Amino acid sequence: MTDTKDTQTSGLGFMGQRVQRVEDDRLLVGKGEFVADVLPEGVLHAAFLRSPFPHATINSINVTAAARLPGVHKVFTGAELNAITNPFLPMFMADGVYTPLYKCMSDEKVRHVGDLVALVVAESRYVAEDALELIEIDYTELTPVGTIDQALEPNREQLWEKADGNVLGNLSDSFGPVDQVFSRADHVITRTFECPRQTNQPMETRGTVVKVDKATGHLEIHNTSQAPHALKWALAAMLTDEGGIKNFGKFVRNADRRQAFTAAAKDFLSKNKESLKAQDNAGQVSQLKKDKSLLKHQGKMAMGLLASTDYPTVKAGDIGGAFGSKGPITREDVAVAAAAKKLGKSVQWIEDRVENLMDGGQAREEQFTISMAVDSDGTLRGMKVDFVLDQGAYPGFPISSLIIPLLWKLYMPGPYNIEAFELNGQIVATNKGRVVPYRGPWANETWLRERMLDVVARELNITPADLRAKNVMREGSMPDAFITGPTIDETMSVAKTFDRALEMIDFDQLEEDKAAAEAKGHRLGLGIASYHEAAPGPPNFFSSAQPGSDMLLSEDGRAEIQADGRIVMYTSQSPHGQSHETTYKQVAADEFGVPLEDVEIVWGDTDRTQFSFLGTGGSRGGPLGAGVMRMTARELRRQVTDVAADMLEAASSDIEIIDGNIHVAGVPAKGITYADVAAKVATDKRTTSGPVFTEQMQYDGVGNGGWSVATHVAWVDIDLETGLVEIPRYLVVEDCGPIINPGVVDGQIRGGVAQGVGAVFYERHHYDEQANLLSTTYMDYLVPTAMEIPHIDIEHMETLTDGENDARGTGEGGMIGAPAALTNAVSDALGVEVYEQYLPPYRILELAGVIDR
Amino acid sequence: MKNPPFNYHRPATVAEALDLLAKHGDDAKVLAGGQSLLPVMALRLGQPEHLIDISAIDELKAISVNDGVTIGAMVRHAEAEKSAEVKQHAPLVAAALPHVGHRAIRNRGTVVGSIAHADAAAEMPAVCLATEATMTIASTDGARTVAAADFFEGFFSTALAPHELLSHVHFPAANATTGTAVVEVSRRHGDYAMCGLACSIDAGGGTISSAALAFFGVAGTAVRVADAEASLIGKPPTADAFAAAADIVKATLDPSDDIHATAAYRKHIAATLTRRGLAEATSTIGVPA
Amino acid sequence: MSLPSVNAPIGQTLPISVTINETAHSLDIEPRRSLADVIREDVGLTGTHLGCEHGVCGACTILVDGEPSRACLMLGVHADGAEITTIEGLAEPDGTKHPIQEAMKQAMSFQCAFCSPGFLMSTVALLRDNPNPTEAEIREELSGNLCRCTGYTSIVEGVETAVTLLGSSALGSTGDQATGGVA
Repeated sequence: MTDTKDTQTSGLGFMGQRVQRVEDDRLLVGKGEFVADVLPEGVLHAAFLRSPFPHATINSINVTAAARLPGVHKVFTGAELNAITNPFLPMFMADGVYTPLYKCMSDEKVRHVGDLVALVVAESRYVAEDALELIEIDYTELTPVGTIDQALEPNREQLWEKADGNVLGNLSDSFGPVDQVFSRADHVITRTFECPRQTNQPMETRGTVVKVDKATGHLEIHNTSQAPHALKWALAAMLTDEGGIKNFGKFVRNADRRQAFTAAAKDFLSKNKESLKAQDNAGQVSQLKKDKSLLKHQGKMAMGLLASTDYPTVKAGDIGGAFGSKGPITREDVAVAAAAKKLGKSVQWIEDRVENLMDGGQAREEQFTISMAVDSDGTLRGMKVDFVLDQGAYPGFPISSLIIPLLWKLYMPGPYNIEAFELNGQIVATNKGRVVPYRGPWANETWLRERMLDVVARELNITPADLRAKNVMREGSMPDAFITGPTIDETMSVAKTFDRALEMIDFDQLEEDKAAAEAKGHRLGLGIASYHEAAPGPPNFFSSAQPGSDMLLSEDGRAEIQADGRIVMYTSQSPHGQSHETTYKQVAADEFGVPLEDVEIVWGDTDRTQFSFLGTGGSRGGPLGAGVMRMTARELRRQVTDVAADMLEAASSDIEIIDGNIHVAGVPAKGITYADVAAKVATDKRTTSGPVFTEQMQYDGVGNGGWSVATHVAWVDIDLETGLVEIPRYLVVEDCGPIINPGVVDGQIRGGVAQGVGAVFYERHHYDEQANLLSTTYMDYLVPTAMEIPHIDIEHMETLTDGENDARGTGEGGMIGAPAALTNAVSDALGVEVYEQYLPPYRILELAGVIDR
Repeated sequence: MKNPPFNYHRPATVAEALDLLAKHGDDAKVLAGGQSLLPVMALRLGQPEHLIDISAIDELKAISVNDGVTIGAMVRHAEAEKSAEVKQHAPLVAAALPHVGHRAIRNRGTVVGSIAHADAAAEMPAVCLATEATMTIASTDGARTVAAADFFEGFFSTALAPHELLSHVHFPAANATTGTAVVEVSRRHGDYAMCGLACSIDAGGGTISSAALAFFGVAGTAVRVADAEASLIGKPPTADAFAAAADIVKATLDPSDDIHATAAYRKHIAATLTRRGLAEATSTIGVPA
Repeated sequence: MSLPSVNAPIGQTLPISVTINETAHSLDIEPRRSLADVIREDVGLTGTHLGCEHGVCGACTILVDGEPSRACLMLGVHADGAEITTIEGLAEPDGTKHPIQEAMKQAMSFQCAFCSPGFLMSTVALLRDNPNPTEAEIREELSGNLCRCTGYTSIVEGVETAVTLLGSSALGSTGDQATGGVA
C-alpha cells in the first residue's frame, strides 16, 4: 500500500485534522447573512403570479385592480419584462439536440404549473401576495404533456413549436465492437428501469435582492448563487437593451477600451487554444437548423456587453444549501433584476417553499432499457442502454439537462472491464418544473448499472459480490483509460474499496440475521454498489463528454499579502455548506506556516473574486479550489521567504516558518513575522496600504487522477406487515485521496447517503398524468427526519499519487451510491427484482406479494 | 406564502367570542392554537374575513375531572400530555397525544381545535369516536351537546354551525378493566398517519365485554368498525380473536388511494393495526397510569 | 397572564409588548403578520430562519415562554405578553457561546446551518427537560426539525456533546445554562 497521510502537510499541519468550522462562529449564533437577511433601507418586495395550469395560452391579462391596491408599487406583466430583457440562449449545444430559447416571463403561453406570468413589486410580501389575487388572466388550456410516454406520442400538443414533437434531442454514441460483442456473448440480459422525479430541496429556498444605486444605476445583487460570476455575466447580457447597442459605437471609437478587450480576448484564446481547436460546431448547426434567431440574439448581447461600462456586482453570502439547484441562472433572477432596474428601487424576492417545489429545481425523472452481454462464467462483455430523460418545460441555463446524458456516456460502464458500450436516447419536454443538476446529476447510471449487475448475477446463479469481484478493474491490470475515453491512474481505486467492504461484511452473521428477521415476519437483505466519479477528473474528462470543453476544468486563484501583513486568499468558489472557509484556511495556513486566523478567505463577491464559470459544483471545491489555493499560497510564501532571507541575511533555503515566525532554521528566537516582511516591502515600495505581494494562478488539477471512488453496502430490514423499512447498518468505504478535514468529508458523505435514503423510501415529486403538481407542500414531499436516517459507518481509504494536491471531491458520492445499494438490499430481502427507484411502503408490500397492485 | 388580510378579534371571554360568532359567523374562523388553520391561511387556501382568536379566554384553558375528563378549547396538546388527570381518566387521549405532530406543534396546537378541524387522518377525532366523547357546543342561543358519533360529518366538516364554538369536549372515564392503545403507520415520524387506530378493550374476567375500534386516515372521517367490535365480545382477548376482527376490518373499510398509499395498502395495515392495537391495549389492562 | 379583548379591522395595527432575549419591545403590528416575520423584520433578529412557512421544517423554532414553538405558525400578536428566546439570545452578552452552540461546533454538527437555529432551540428545551437523553430520544425530539445537509448523525452527536458540556458546566458557576439559560 502506498497510503501514507503525512506527505502533504507543512508548517503547523492542519491538513487532515478535524479542524472545527470557523463558519460556525457566526452561523451558530444567528449572525450569518443569508439572502433573506439582506434588507436594505426602503427595499420593496416581489411576488410572482404563477400559472395554475400546466399548459395553456394566455389570452389576456388585466392588472388594473392589482396595480391600484395600496402599497403596490408596480405590477409587471410578462410582456413588460420580456420587452426589457434578452432571452436565455443555449450555451452548451450538441449534435442532434435543440434547446428552446425562452425569456424571463411567459407572455403568450404557460408551460408548467408555476410558470411565471406577472410580477408584483410592493411595500411588503404580504401586500404583493394580496395583489396577485387581483390580477385577472384569461387562459385557454392546452392538452398537457404529463409523462414521458405522452411526450413520445407523435401527435401530442407541443411545448415548443420549433421542436420535433416534444423530443428535444437524440443522442447516440458507441464504444468498442458492440455488435460483435453482443452476438458472441453467452447471454444478453435486458431489463427496463425507471426513476421518478425528485427535487433538491435545500432548507433555504432561492432568493435575490437587487440593490439599485440611485446615483449611478449600478446593480448590486445579493443572490443564493452557486456561480455568482456566471450570474453576473448572464444578467449583464440579458439586461442589455437597445441603448447598449447604440453605445457600441462609443466602444468602437474608444481606443483604450478596444485595446483592453483585444488583449483580454487574445489572452483567452492563447490560454484555451487546444480546447478551442477541438471544438466542433455540430451542436450549433443542430440548433440553427431549428432556430436561426440564436445568431441575432448572440450578436445583440455580445455588442451590448462590449458597449456596457457597468456590469452588475453579484454577492453570494451565506447560502442555505443547494445540492445543485442554485447553480443555474433562473428566470426569476432576470425578472427581478429587470424590475428593480426599471423602477430604480431595491427589490427583494425570496422564493417560498411552494414556489420552490414548483420550480426550484427538479431531477432524475428518467427511463432506461439496459442490455448486458455476459458470458456464463460471469465475464461482463458489453452494455447497451436506451434512455429517455424528462427535462420538464424550460431548459436549464447555462447548462441544460443535456449534460446528464453526456456524463452517462462516460460513466455508465462503471469501474468494470468491458469490451463494448452503446448509449442511445432522447431528451423530452414535458409540462413540469425545470430539471437542474442534483448532487451527482448523472447518478442514475450507477443505480441502473449496479441494480442490473444484481439482476445478471441472479440470472447466472452467482452472487452479486462474486460478479463484481470478477469484473472490477484492478491495480496491476488497469487500462490507461476507460473505454469511453477518460484516462485513469491509481486513484481509480474502486477495487480497493470493494475488497475492503467485503472484508467488513460478516456474511455468516448476515445469514443468521436473515433467519432471525424471517422468524418475526420481517425480511432482511444486503445490497452492494460501487462507483467512480470524476472529482474533478483527468484533463481529458470534459473533452471526452464534449470536444473542446476541457477549459471547464481549470480554476483561477488569487492571493495577496497586505502592507500590514494580512494574508488574503480569494476564491471563485461559492460555498453553501461545504465548509470552504475552514478547509481553505487549513490548506493556506499550512503553506504559509501560520495559524488559521492569520488567513482571510474571500468568496462570493464578484467585485473582489476572480472569474469562474462554474463556481461551486461538480466536486471541484477540494481538488481545484483548494488546489489553486495551495499553489498560490506556496508561490507567495516563496516570495516572502526571499525577502525574509535578505532581512535575516540567510539563504532562502534556510528559512523556516512556524506558527507565523519566519526564521533561519534552528534560530526561532531571532524570527520575524509576515507583518515585518510586508512592512519592509511596503517601505521599499513607498506605500502604506494595499497588497505588497500578489499572485494569480490557473490550476488544472493533477493529471490523470482526480477520481473519487466508493463502495456502499446497505442492510435493510423490512416489516412485511407494514412495508416499513429500517436500515440497521449502512457502510460507505470511500477513497477521495488525502482528506483535508475528516469532519467535513464525513458530513458530505452522510448527507449524500441521507438524500439517497430519501430518494428510495420517502421522496417522490408527484405530478399526475395531466402534469398537475401533487406534492406542493412539505406534507407531501417528504424530506426524511432524524428518525428515518440511520447512522452511517464510513471507512476511509486515502490512496495517494505523486501529485502535489491529491485531494479529490467527495460532495456527490453519497447520493450516487445509496439508491443502488438500498434497492439492491430490498431486492435481496424480498427475493424479487426491483426495477424502480422509489419504494414507499405500499410498493414494498406489492413487490413482496403481500398486497395486490 | 403570507397570511391574507383579516379582521382580527381577540375576545377575553366566551360570551364575547359567541357575540362575535353570532355577528360574523358565516365569514369567521375560530383560531385556537393555529397549527392547522395558519398554514391553510398562509397557503391562501382559506381566507376568513374575520379571525376570532380565542387564545386569551382563560375559561377555556382548564382540564377538569368529572366522571372522566373535560378539556377546554384552549388546552394545548402539550398541557394535556403532561396532565396526570388525562392520563388517569382518559388514557386513550393520553395514548394518542404523543402521536400528534412534533413537540413544537403540540406546544401550540389544541386538543379541541384538532377535533373541530376534523382532519380524517388526525388522531383526536378517532379518540372521540372510540371513547364516545361528548361535544359541548356554545353559541348565543345557549349550549348544546352532541355525541362524537354525530359530530363528524365528513371531510373537514362537523355538526358545528358557523356561529357556534366547540367550547369543551368530555371524555368519559374508562373503567379499570379497560385497556387502550393508539397505533398508526405514517410515512415519516410525526406525519399524519396513512392509517391509524385508536382502540380500547374491556376484558375484565378474561372475556371481552366491550371493544372500540376507531380508525383514522382511511375515510372522510374517522370511522368505527362495529362488526369487528361485535366479533370480539364474549371471546377471550387472544391473537385468534384479534385476527378474526382484523379480517372483518379489512373487509369492511373502503379507503382510497393517494400519493402516499394505495387503498389495498391501507386495508392491509388497518388489519395489521387491529391485531397490534388490540394486543397492545390488552397489555395495558390493569397497568396503573 | 390575562389579556384584554381587542378588535383590529383589516389594515389596522395592534400594539404588543413582548420580551425577546430579555429585552422588552413595544411593537405595533398588523395582526396577520407571522411572529417569525415580526422577529426578523420589526425586531431585526434575522437568526430565526424561514424554511417552509407551513410548520413542517422547524427552521423557525423559537422558545415562547420556554417552550419550542414554530414562529411561522404563530401570529405576531400571539407574542403579546410573552417571553421569547431566539438563537441570538443563547450566547452570553460577551459573545461566549452557549454550551449547546459550543457543542454543535465541536461536533461539526451543521453544514449550511440554515436549519441550525431551529435545532438549537429545540435542543435547549430537550436538554432542559431531559438532561441525559438516549440517542433514540434525541432523534425523536429533533424529528420536527429538517436538515438536508448532514444526515443528522453529526447533530445527534452535537446533542450528546452538549450533554457532556452542560453536565460539566452545571458543576461550575454557569449553572443557569444547565437548564438552557432560559425561563
